[in-house]
Amino acid sequence: MYRTGLLPSIGDYRPMPDPAGTDPGSLNQPPASAVGLPVQLEEARRELRDEILRGHGGRGALARFSDRLDAIVRQIVAAAPHVPQPVAPMAVVAIGGYGRRQLCLHSDIDLLVLFGGRLGDAEEKVLRAILHPLWDLGLAVGHQVREIEEFGRLEVDNPEFLMALVDARPIAGDRGLFDRFESAFHHAGTHAHVVGALNALIDERYALFNSTLYQLEPDVKESPGALRDLTATRWIAALTDPSLLRRGVEDPSKIEEAEDFLLRVRSILHLESKRNHNQLTHPLQENAADILGYPGAFPQQRVERLMSDYFRHARVVMRSLAWMRKVAPTPAGLNLGRASDGILFIDVRQAAVQPATWLAAFQAAIDANCPVSDPALAVIRQYTERFRVEDFFPTPAHRAALLRFLKPAPGLYARLSEMHDCGLLGRMFPPFQAITYRVVRDFFHKYTVDEHTLLTIRNLERLGTGAAPDRQRFSSLLKDLEAPELLVLSLLLHDVGKWRDDDHHLESVRMAREMFGRIGLPQEARDTVEFLIANHLAMSQVAFRRDTEDPDIVRKFAELVGVEERLKMLCLMTLADVEAVSLETLTPWRAELLWRLFVDTYNHLTIGYGDERIEGDLPGNAELLTNRPADLSDADITRFLEGLPRRYLQLFDRDAIYRHVRLARDIRPDEVHLWLEQKGTAWELTVVTLDKPFLFSNISGVLSSFGMDILRGHALTNPNGLVLDVFQFTDQERFLELNAGAREQMFTVLNDVVSARETVTERLRGRARSLFHQRPLRVTPVVHCDNSSSKRYTILDIIADDEFGLLYRISRVMSQNGCDVDLVLIATEGHRAIDVFHITKAGRKLSEPDQLELAAHLQRMLEGGYEAD
Amino acid sequence: MKLIKSIVRPNKVDEVKDALEKLGISGMTVTEVRGHGQQKGHTAIYRGKEYNVSLLPKMQIEVVVSDSIVDDAIKAIVQSAKTGEIGDGRVFVLPVEQTYKIRTGEKDAM
Repeated sequence: MYRTGLLPSIGDYRPMPDPAGTDPGSLNQPPASAVGLPVQLEEARRELRDEILRGHGGRGALARFSDRLDAIVRQIVAAAPHVPQPVAPMAVVAIGGYGRRQLCLHSDIDLLVLFGGRLGDAEEKVLRAILHPLWDLGLAVGHQVREIEEFGRLEVDNPEFLMALVDARPIAGDRGLFDRFESAFHHAGTHAHVVGALNALIDERYALFNSTLYQLEPDVKESPGALRDLTATRWIAALTDPSLLRRGVEDPSKIEEAEDFLLRVRSILHLESKRNHNQLTHPLQENAADILGYPGAFPQQRVERLMSDYFRHARVVMRSLAWMRKVAPTPAGLNLGRASDGILFIDVRQAAVQPATWLAAFQAAIDANCPVSDPALAVIRQYTERFRVEDFFPTPAHRAALLRFLKPAPGLYARLSEMHDCGLLGRMFPPFQAITYRVVRDFFHKYTVDEHTLLTIRNLERLGTGAAPDRQRFSSLLKDLEAPELLVLSLLLHDVGKWRDDDHHLESVRMAREMFGRIGLPQEARDTVEFLIANHLAMSQVAFRRDTEDPDIVRKFAELVGVEERLKMLCLMTLADVEAVSLETLTPWRAELLWRLFVDTYNHLTIGYGDERIEGDLPGNAELLTNRPADLSDADITRFLEGLPRRYLQLFDRDAIYRHVRLARDIRPDEVHLWLEQKGTAWELTVVTLDKPFLFSNISGVLSSFGMDILRGHALTNPNGLVLDVFQFTDQERFLELNAGAREQMFTVLNDVVSARETVTERLRGRARSLFHQRPLRVTPVVHCDNSSSKRYTILDIIADDEFGLLYRISRVMSQNGCDVDLVLIATEGHRAIDVFHITKAGRKLSEPDQLELAAHLQRMLEGGYEAD
Repeated sequence: MKLIKSIVRPNKVDEVKDALEKLGISGMTVTEVRGHGQQKGHTAIYRGKEYNVSLLPKMQIEVVVSDSIVDDAIKAIVQSAKTGEIGDGRVFVLPVEQTYKIRTGEKDAM
């Protein structure tokens, strides 16, 4: 509904027909003309003057005059290629009053010259070839020049320009480029901003006129009730709900009549004053009354009749605008607006048959922190039974929108409750329908299963927004989650199996699996959700019923969760679930027990895993051998796995493990085997090589030298010196994306640095400023040495500001202190880097003095007082 | 008649309860409590930062029993709540002078 760049062409507002046409084939074709441009312009002006003097200088005459100017502009643009062709495509677009085809005799010619690429010398020559002839004709040209990419961000500081763009009309050049401009400009965010800015400007303009239309010498453009009000009325409708023009307080024909009157008067003012003058002064009132043929024996009588008509028309316009401002919804998305009672559908009939757009209404409500309006809910309630799951999520974009919607945010519980109340939630998630109003009698639960489920999500939502002091530690976990929407999805489905009376978690898993395909959930996400649903009772059972001071209990629980991310999710799920049982269930005592189990398990996963190695036959090994691809032997796999931490089997899926085995096969000293793939917005680099001093810092240094920001990763070493490093990083400079051969270049450098043919220090010199620049600390650095948690390693916890090159600097300091980096966990949470290193020195744990020295060096470096060479 | 107040590990409540029920003691009050005795908490580390865990979560079980089975009840509690490690808890025995039923105001026979 918002894709129209022109004013709405519905029955109540009919732009004048455009005889030149604007189809792609005709944009660059000037009409055949035997006369020069000055003559053409003078002819056009003479025709308009004649019309004005006959009292007909209104809509039709101005549209014809605009068309004559279009023809002149097209001829000039067509002549422009005599200079070297621009590389980028170009379009010339009429904007503002010219775009509306209401060009008056002395109005500025407002043009947007749009380029499809970067502005260079060739483009500037073309620009001059267009503008100079227009200036030579004596036209006042208001021109704006933009690259199409500039419409990727909103020019919030230039509201008048944005409003002029609402009337954009292509005249010449590349029609495809104009279409790209329209796509970039016309979306809810821009529309909402333009409407907001427009309302502010209306208020400012009204203040200049004491907010009254009854001016004795009105400005027919600016005064309340004059042409700007009329344009504003149409803009608001075009940007919010075009049907409002049909439903206004004034009959549409009266608005058209008022417009024609005001334009006729304005044309007379331009003609009589010979300039762009719009104030209907007393002397000009007499001239206008005469030209428009008002009867009366005396000038005063004719003027009174003219002004009486003026006020009548201005009142129609002002009332229309006031009503439009009152009722127009704020644009909130495709076919969505925000009114005082919440999000509504602009075109209800369209919404009724497009269920895939419904979720957007609830997302818009979350974004605007308001409800979905009752009329919109009523539409959904009426039609929802007609649709299947697939109708709500027909494309990958819709399925991605679902996951975005499920991110914990203020209002999520309320919106889900609205969806449930109107029957949509059960249609979107059929398993949820099975627990609607479901009563399960037990000693603890106080609510029906569906409400308990939604309350779990409310509890999570509250953790994200101003959690109580005793919940803030859990709140920090929520903020750190990579995919909190999967936690919400798990909560939504965790009890659906309770439609039956036995083993509900297994039934919940079965029902959830049926949903995964229908909402297009990626495999990794499916595994996570399935794990959480299947084990949603596990953490409470261990925390509240088992002796968590027994290390064996913690170890077994750590084995169950496997990795930190799942532990965090399960912890939050347990908290939200227990709290949703009743008001009294989650006591501070239980919260404390849960937190302690979390901490103990987290510590086991991050600092206790080094001693648990893959040795002999493990259940995971057998599975890997059974399913191995033909190109790998049992011996290849066993040799590779032997001695790696057991955690490895939980970090990587089978395909990744087989890939690692291939990379490790037959590797020789100084060789580096690499694998690089894009994963969402990040990249993942796998490095397999044989261990040597400074290896970890060299690899992380190479990544930094290419501008990569390392987010997370693992470094693993087996007793034979085989090193497997996996880094996930972002490429903010888009080096890998934009440069052909970038991947090969990075691989070459990694090989050269690891084999000592090049030094990383040399490569980093160019980035030295950002690498070693001392910035104010946002996080007080923490360096903690632990010699007791592992039999083999000294464990170093480091928490610091996530800065470019941090990992390189840390690991370099370690290597300079003679330490070997054996295992590393790399994590980034917000602007904090959280790294855990398992290190040794000469094959042993660090002595007390070595620990103190290393910690001091690291602390100094992190506080900015130390530079690695 | 005695009031036996036991402070036990949270995971031992069910075992203590079962042991008492075997003696015919079914009425009890169970409360979540936090505190420390000889155990005095410990130092925990989370993400490189050390913090003191001084008050530990425990469960308090209160039962009122006749003098004749006090010793058996204490024995049942100790046996079922014991792990042998520091932090197993305490049992306190207090005399009870009178008890009343609130519903009827009736005084129980001692």
